[in-house]
Order: sequence, then structure tokens, then C-alpha cells
Amino acid sequence: MSADDTQQAREQLIDLAAQFYDQFELGEIPHMSVPTRTKNNIEYDEEMDVWVYGDRESTRSANSVRGARKLLKAVYTIEFLADQLEADRSSTLRELYYLSESWDNDEAQFNDQDESNSMVEDLEIVSGVTREDFHMRPEESGATLMGPLHLREQTRRGEREIHCQEDVGEGGYQIPNNPDTIEFLDCDADFILAVETGGMRDRLVENGFDEEYNALIVHLKGQPARATRRITKRLHDELGLPVTVFTDGDPWSYRIYGSVAYGSIKSAHLSEYLATPEADFIGIQPADIVEYELPTDPLSDSDINALESELEDPRFQTEYWEEQIELQLDLGKKSEQQSLASHGLDFVTETYLPERLDEMGVL
Amino acid sequence: MTSFQSTLGDEPGIAEELAESQQSISIAEFFEKNKHMLGFDSGARGLVTAVKEAVDNALDAAEESGILPDIYVEIQEVGDYYRLIVEDNGPGLTKESLPKVFGKLLYGSRFHAREQSRGQQGIGISAAVLYAQLTSGKPAKITSRTQGSEEAEYFELIVDTDTNEPEISVEETTTWDRPHGTRIELEMEANMRARQQLHDYIKHTAVVNPHARLELREPQEHFKFERATDQLPEETEEIRPHPHGVELGTVMKMLTATDSQTVSGFVQEEFTRVGKKTADSIIDAFRDRYYGREMRWRPPATHEAVDLHAAVEDATANKGAEATAAFAAAIADGVADHDRIAHHELLETVESAAEAVEDEHGTTFGDTVRENAVEAVWLELIDAEADAETDESDGAEGDSDSRLVADLSDLADEATSTRKDDEIIHAFADRLAAKFDAELESDEEDGGNVRHRLTRTDLREHVDRVADLTEEYDDVSFGETARGNVTDAIWDVMATVPDDPPLVRELDGDRDATSDLVDAMRATDIMAPPTRCLAPISEDLITAGLKKEFDADFYASATRDAGVSGGDPFIVEAGIAYGGELPAEGTGDVMRFANRVPLVYQRGACATTDVVKSIGWRNYGLDQPGGSGLPNGPVVIMIHVASTNVPFTSESKDAVANVPEIEDEIELAIREAARDLKSYLNKRRSMQQRRKKQNVLGKILPEMATKVAEVTGRDEPDIDDAIARIMNNVLVERDVTENGDGQAVSVVVENNSSTNESLEITDIVSAEPTALSDGATVVEMDGEWFVKWEPEVGSDDEAALEYEVPADATFDLDIKGVESEKLTVNQ
Repeated sequence: MSADDTQQAREQLIDLAAQFYDQFELGEIPHMSVPTRTKNNIEYDEEMDVWVYGDRESTRSANSVRGARKLLKAVYTIEFLADQLEADRSSTLRELYYLSESWDNDEAQFNDQDESNSMVEDLEIVSGVTREDFHMRPEESGATLMGPLHLREQTRRGEREIHCQEDVGEGGYQIPNNPDTIEFLDCDADFILAVETGGMRDRLVENGFDEEYNALIVHLKGQPARATRRITKRLHDELGLPVTVFTDGDPWSYRIYGSVAYGSIKSAHLSEYLATPEADFIGIQPADIVEYELPTDPLSDSDINALESELEDPRFQTEYWEEQIELQLDLGKKSEQQSLASHGLDFVTETYLPERLDEMGVL
Repeated sequence: MTSFQSTLGDEPGIAEELAESQQSISIAEFFEKNKHMLGFDSGARGLVTAVKEAVDNALDAAEESGILPDIYVEIQEVGDYYRLIVEDNGPGLTKESLPKVFGKLLYGSRFHAREQSRGQQGIGISAAVLYAQLTSGKPAKITSRTQGSEEAEYFELIVDTDTNEPEISVEETTTWDRPHGTRIELEMEANMRARQQLHDYIKHTAVVNPHARLELREPQEHFKFERATDQLPEETEEIRPHPHGVELGTVMKMLTATDSQTVSGFVQEEFTRVGKKTADSIIDAFRDRYYGREMRWRPPATHEAVDLHAAVEDATANKGAEATAAFAAAIADGVADHDRIAHHELLETVESAAEAVEDEHGTTFGDTVRENAVEAVWLELIDAEADAETDESDGAEGDSDSRLVADLSDLADEATSTRKDDEIIHAFADRLAAKFDAELESDEEDGGNVRHRLTRTDLREHVDRVADLTEEYDDVSFGETARGNVTDAIWDVMATVPDDPPLVRELDGDRDATSDLVDAMRATDIMAPPTRCLAPISEDLITAGLKKEFDADFYASATRDAGVSGGDPFIVEAGIAYGGELPAEGTGDVMRFANRVPLVYQRGACATTDVVKSIGWRNYGLDQPGGSGLPNGPVVIMIHVASTNVPFTSESKDAVANVPEIEDEIELAIREAARDLKSYLNKRRSMQQRRKKQNVLGKILPEMATKVAEVTGRDEPDIDDAIARIMNNVLVERDVTENGDGQAVSVVVENNSSTNESLEITDIVSAEPTALSDGATVVEMDGEWFVKWEPEVGSDDEAALEYEVPADATFDLDIKGVESEKLTVNQ
């Protein structure tokens, strides 16, 4: 990231502080409005084809003791971030939480990490600068990528050129915190296969699926980090690769697909930048449970609740999803990716994926 | 039994022997042995009771003569005894009445009066004299001087317990420095263990008698309670009993004693709130109970095969065809004019028909003829078979039910729920009609109860019986409500009879009839008794009294409208003091008063305490462990019951009895005052929250402003306006600008609250201000100018005070009218 960007992010933060300053001077009650971050307040943006926040806002106002504390913390956080940008350093969200303990004002310290995380999200939204540009990272590094892709990464120790099949071990290429520092050089892949679980990713790599089908295997590691979603989006947009998502067959996994394809509720302000609406779902589909006679577990109460709430989630209101979710509710069953192993270890690479990808028109 | 009696009889003289030892006891002797009944059970208590009786008498005496009471109480230790001296500035007592007042039990002016007073029985002070003479053997020493007399009378006397008469040992005149008043000196065996109760009694007396000046000097302490008002309680008047509150026995006694001849005269003369109209209502209600009502039946409709005309003609003989026809027609028309007709109404109709025809035709219709006509028509109306002949002639068309069945069936149908089907109703009506028919054979003198006269009780019995039968035979339920409704419906169409009520002398001694009269009085709506016989303290004076004796933060009081209990009107008042110097630990205090007399003993047995304990004080913002019982915290609850006859649990007058009407009013009075307490506490709580919020924000916001200034690299912003707005505060800001040689001052009031605010602003200026804006005034005092301005500023509005002063002037703002929590001053 260039020094200009850093400077701009810093200015935007300081503008926010100046806004509070002006409110004081005008005799107004200092306040800050952010969109409400709930399922009920996300709407489909037809132009961008992604889900973004609606019009509902919640106001953090110094009118109440709680609101005033929040704004005080916001100002302290702004100061910290501005200083960090000036020194060109970076820190993790958890570090911010611990760092607040060193602030001279007890009232400004965070009570728990959820509070500091959501403060950073607030500031992202209000200032229009992403967390990455504040030089804030999540705790865990991004997931991995494996496949016929040659790229160049800007690291703190200079530029590195890496081939994601030849230059990496079995673990694959580690996606950096800010994938915008990557430049794609060459790509022989035909499509992206995003996989939920580590076990399945390892199975595909062991079976040489990436080589055989020219697939770029992206490990999602459960709910994908922003960096994972961002690089997927860039690979799709810049290299024109079709994106497919392969997860377990349960409601929580559908949400993983949802956040790859449509964006998550927590970061709907960044959907445009993170979501790949063209991504397709491979499975496990409820229909596959029947078709491939997969071993199953019964749906728990929380699974059923999750499915029902997905039926009301605006992101899942398509014919395909309604049909699948209702089918699953009828079946009362769920299956994991690894349950395909009941037909043998090679079943997934030799039968299931080729059949599904063929059906979807990817192969 | 008989054998036992005969055994007794066999031993001659035993009854006589027993009778010899039986003798009447003087009341004085009785109380001598039962001192506890009057509150003299121990030396400690005896002293308090004696003070109480003497002070109550003194207050009553002074108030009655319109004198502001000034009472001095002294207790001295005299060897093994205590000497009690009570002096008042009352009107004094005459030489004749004085010995009896102090030396005879049950002598007083109060017992027979329905009027609020402290004393009621005329026992108290003479009982104190009795107690003193019993324990110390010394007579009471009494000095009294009436207004205008040269000298004072001095007596030494005791109560002769055998005769209940005063026994005077010294009687002389003396000089006394008070122009009028009474002084009593008693020596008695006593102790000061009940010192607390004594102090309570005097202090509480001061609370409810803010017009009295009290002084207490006892061996250890000395208190003075000054007046809080010069306003005497309103004078009370005696009233007669109220009809709603008298008992049967009392009415029987009154009937014997009255001079009135008629019941109407009796109720108007002997009771309060009974005039001619009310008396009429009472008498109607009495008639309904005493005689019963008469059933009114529907006159025959045109389609019915009932020919009244023919019936009259048949019954009238030898009056000429024309006159007879006219007579019959007049009666038939008269009957048809009624919606329903009762026997006595028919009687009237026949009378007027007879008279009209007599005038027109010159034929005389005598009593017999009239009676015959009435009987004939009435029997037709009730479809009764008078004799064999009519039976046969009617039999032809009267194939089925009598007229009564149809009539009763309609009434019952109206009165019962729609779920009962017509057949059931019909069967019910049929049986009920049979009951009316049976009345004809009932045991009344001749011809049975032909007039269908029933009391409500009779009617209900019939309905019950018939309903039971209906349940039995028709297998349907005929419940309590349905029975009640049917009874009501029939009772409503029945007519009160015109018979004169019995005269007073006929009623006298007739227990049942008198009981009907008492019921009738209770059933009649009568205005509540007048309250001029009562002297409530009033809300203002309760508050004043509480303020005088308790240093609290908040006072509330409530005076209820008068109620009636046992014919005696009563008023309940309540007061609450909260906070301030009242002890915050432990349970709150309850002060009980009856007719302005503090009740200091038997708190647990008193209705007032029961009510206080039954109230859910948590609802009113007080702490109440377990949700019942006395509330905790710095609170004093005061209750005053004023009545012409306060129901006490005993003669010692320590506790109010649990009378439901009074308990209800006590509860309402306390709740009324408690509601004010609640809103005060709520307001205080919200002020506390506001203060807390202000404290936190007062810390956070400046820190935030400092930080914002640091981050943006600017000077610290001014945050007062923002804070005032956040706190919904009233912001008063001074703005001074240079203006030539002097300066222009503007004081701006900005109201950020949601209510209108009235402020009193005083700006103290060190030089003379000029060019004052409208509404402001200026007063000079010792070289300082006080600019006064009292603006009313609406919600979200602002107002400004402007003036000019020389450049070197200084200012100081003083603001009132807004709670300090809500005010931000920026000068």
C-alpha cells in the first residue's frame, strides 16, 4: 500500500475527530450514526449485485452515559490508529484491546474484545476506510491457496515471486492479510474450488485434484477471513475464473457460501469489495444426501432454527435455496463433506466433484 | 330439670340467703377494682393516663369557649410519690359543677352528644382522681377561676366509691394569677418508666393541635411546644343519628321515646338528613317490607276471550240497564288504560267509574255494588274460577292456560337467559301461576290473599319452590342468578300498596315491624350525614403540625370526605413525613390519633396499625421487608380518625376497633398521602440519576473534548452548551461585549428541558445598570444594584435579559426556581 493511501486513511480518521469537535463548538450533542448491523437491515444492491446495509441507522450519542463512553473510546481509538498510520506500523485487533489498558483514561478502556472489534467496524463504516488500511489485522492469518497460479507479493522484506504449486509445500501458499499487495503474473487454472474443511482440502491435494483439473484450491477454514474472500474476488474479477464453493451439507456451511457469494452481515459495508456474487455452490446439497446415499446425522434444534432463519434471510431468497432448505427440513438430516468417504477415498475426486462440476457447467 | 328445681325448693332460705348477699355496685367501686380498663394498670402507665385525661379535658374546655389552649403540665417527685399538676387557660368551672366533674364517674356533657370531642364518657379525669386517692390516699387539689370572677375557687376532694359522689374536704376561695382556667394537682404512686410514652403523647398532641401551646416539665426534662397557627379548629355542632347507622334496639328505644305520631314524623324528627321526600322513600320501602307489594297483571288484550263488560254487568243488579252499561264500560276502559293493574288500582278505577256514572245517571252505586264489581273484574283478570257457574260458562273457551301463565311466562322469558327454551319457561310460568292461584286459599282472613299481595321474601320463596320443581321435573338447571332475575322482574312490576303505615304507637314494641322499618331505612338512599359535627385537622394544618415537630424533607397529607359508621359520621386524615432528620434505620413510626388525642398504647391492636401493615409500601417507593408490615426507613405515618363516636377496643381508649368502613377510609387516606410521597420519591430518584449522569458525563465529556482537540490539533472546544442540552438543562449564560466606554451585558436563559420553567434571576451588579430590557427591575442596596428578572421560558425556548454598565462593573448571578441539578450557569 502506498504512503498516499496511508496518509488518506489518516486524514479521514482525523476528519471524524474534527466532526466531534465541531459538534461541541456548535453546542450540539456529539454523535455518530452507523448503519444497524443486523439481518433486518441488509438489502440487495442491484447495481453491484451484492448485499449492502439498508437505511436503518443507530446513533451513538453523548446523550447517555453509555453513548458518551462509546464516543470517548472512539476518540481514543482514532488517536491510536492515526498514530499507528503515522509510524507505519500495524497491529492486531486483539492487540488493540490489550493496548487500551495502557490508556491514561479508565473510561476509555475496552471491556472486552467484542467491544474493540465492533469499534473498529464502526470506524471503518463511518470513515469509509477499510480495516486493512488502518493497518489492523485479525489474529489468525489468512487461509491457503494451491494451484497453477504465479504471483508477486509485496512483503516488508521486499518483493517475492511465488508459484502456488511449484514454490510451495503441501500446505500451499499462505494468503497475506492484505491481498491487495499481490500482483497476479500468470495463471493456468480453469476454476476456483473453495473448500470449507482442512480435511477435504488435504484429500483433494493428496489426490492431485488441482493438477488433474487445473483447479485453484482455496481453503476457507470455516467462515472465510476477509483476505480469503478478497483474493477470491480478485481472482474472479481479474482473471475471469469461475468460483465454486464446496462445503458440508448443513445450515452453517450454507452461510459460509453466503458470505463468499453475497457478503456477510458484519461486513456488508465492504460487500462490493469482498463478495463474489457469481460463486456457485457445489454441495453437499440436501439432494446429494439422497442421490449418493450419504451417511447422515439428524438435524438438531439449532440446525432447524438456523435453516428456518435462512429462509427469511434476504441472501437466501432464491428458488434454488428455498427448494434445498425445504428439502433438508423434510429430510431432517445433514451430512459432512467427509461422508463421501463412505464410497471410498477417491470417490470425491473421481466421481462426486466431476459429476457436480459437469452438471454446473464448469467442466 | 323439674326434679332439680324441686330439690332446690326443698331447702328453704337458700335463694333468700343468696339474694341477701346480692347488691348493686357503684360504678366507682367497679372501676376501683378494674383500674386497667381505664388505663391505670401500673404506676408507669397510670401517670401517662392521668396526664392524658387532664390534657384532653383542658383542650376540650378551651376549644369549646373559643380560647387558644395554653396548657402547662408538671410532674414532681415527692418522696415516694409523684405529683402531677395540669393547668389550662380554659373557661374555668363553676363552684357547683366542679366537684362533680372531678369527683363523680360518668358525669359529663359528652356521652349523649353526637359531636366530635376528645372526651366521650365522662370517666377519664374522675378516674384519675380515684386512682390518685387509692394509691396515695391524698385528695385532688383543684383550683378554678371563671372569666371575670374576682377570686378562684379551691377544692380538695375525693370520690366516694360507695356512692360515686364527690366528697369535699376543703372548699375555699383563693387568689390565682391566671384570669381564667383550671388547675388540678394529683399525688399518686407512680414511676417514670413510661417516660417515652409520656413524651410521645405530648409531642403527638402538639402535632395534631397546632393551635395549642403545650409545656411539659418533668424531673429530668422540659419541653415547650409553641403554636403553629392561631386558627382554632372549627366549632362542631351536635347532630341526630343517621338512618344508615342505627341498630334495631336503638330504633326501638327511640320509638318509645319519640313525641311523633306517624312514622314519617318520627324519621324526620329523630334522624339527620331525612326530609319529607326521604321520609316518603323510607315509608315506601317500609310498606314493601311490612305489607308486601301487590301483583299487577296485564289487562286483557282484545283478542283474549275475557269480557270485563259482561262480568260487571253480571255482578251489578237493579241499577237500570243504561247506568249498568255505562258503569261496566267505564270500568272496562279504566282497566284497559293501565299497562298493568294491581288490586288497589282496580279499586280506584271502580271508585272513579262509580262516581262518574253516579254524576251522569243519578243512580247511586253503593259500596256493595262497587265491591261486587271489583271482585268480578279482579277474578276475571286473574282468571280465577269464582264459583261453579262461571266455571262452566268460561270452560267452553278457556281450553288451556290461565291468563297468569302467559303473563308470567313473558316476564320469566325476559328475565332469564335465551338458552332456556320456551317450553321450560312455560312450564315454569305454569307452576308459578299455580302459586298465585294457591294464594287465594291461603290462610288470610276471608277469601285468602285474593289481592296477590306478597313481600319480596314470599315471592322469592315461591320462585325458589317453583324453580326446584322445574329442575326436578323438566331436568334443567334453574340457577341462583336466574331465580334472582325472575324475582327481580316480577318484583319490579309489582306495586307498592297505598295502605297507611302503622302509627308509632303501633310500632312501639313490635320487634318485627320495627325490623322492617330499620331494613327500609338502610335500603333507602340517604345523603351522608353532615360533617359540621366533626372538626378534622385539615390537610394544611396536618402538614404544619408535622413540620413543627419533625425535621423531614417531605410532607404529605390527605383529608377524606366524611363516611358513616353505626350512624356516626367520621372523617379519616393521614399525613406522611419523610427523610431529613428522621432516623433512616429501622421501621417507620406510626402516629395514631382519635379525635385529636394521641393513642400511645396497644399499637398492635389498633385498626390503623393493621391498615398500615396491609399496604404494599414498595409500590410507594418505601422499603418493606417481605412485602408486608410496617415500612422501613425515615418515615412517619400519621392517622387521625375523627368521629362523633370513635369505636375503641376498650374504655381506656388506646386502640381503634376494626370497623370495616373506617378501615377502608383509613386505607384510602393513607394511600392518598402515599401517592404524593411516591411522586416525590420518584422525582428524587430521577434527580439522583440525573446527578449521577451529570457526574459521569461531567468527567467524560471534557476528556473527550481534550482528546478531540489533541487529535485535531486545535484549541479545546467549549462544551457547556452541549452539556446543558444533554442534561435537558436550563442554561443561563452571560455574554458581555464592549460597548464604547461601558459594556453591554446579556444574560440568556436557554431551556432545554421538556417543561416550561419559571426562573427568578437576580444579578448583583457593582455599578448602576442602564438600558434595562423589559420585565426586569433594579433596586439599589448599599452600593450594589440588584437586577431582578422573572422570566417564564417555554420548552426549547430562550429568553434574554439585557442592560448596559460601565466597563469596570462586576456581576454575580443568583438563580432560583430551577432545581440545582437542572441548572447550568455560565457567567
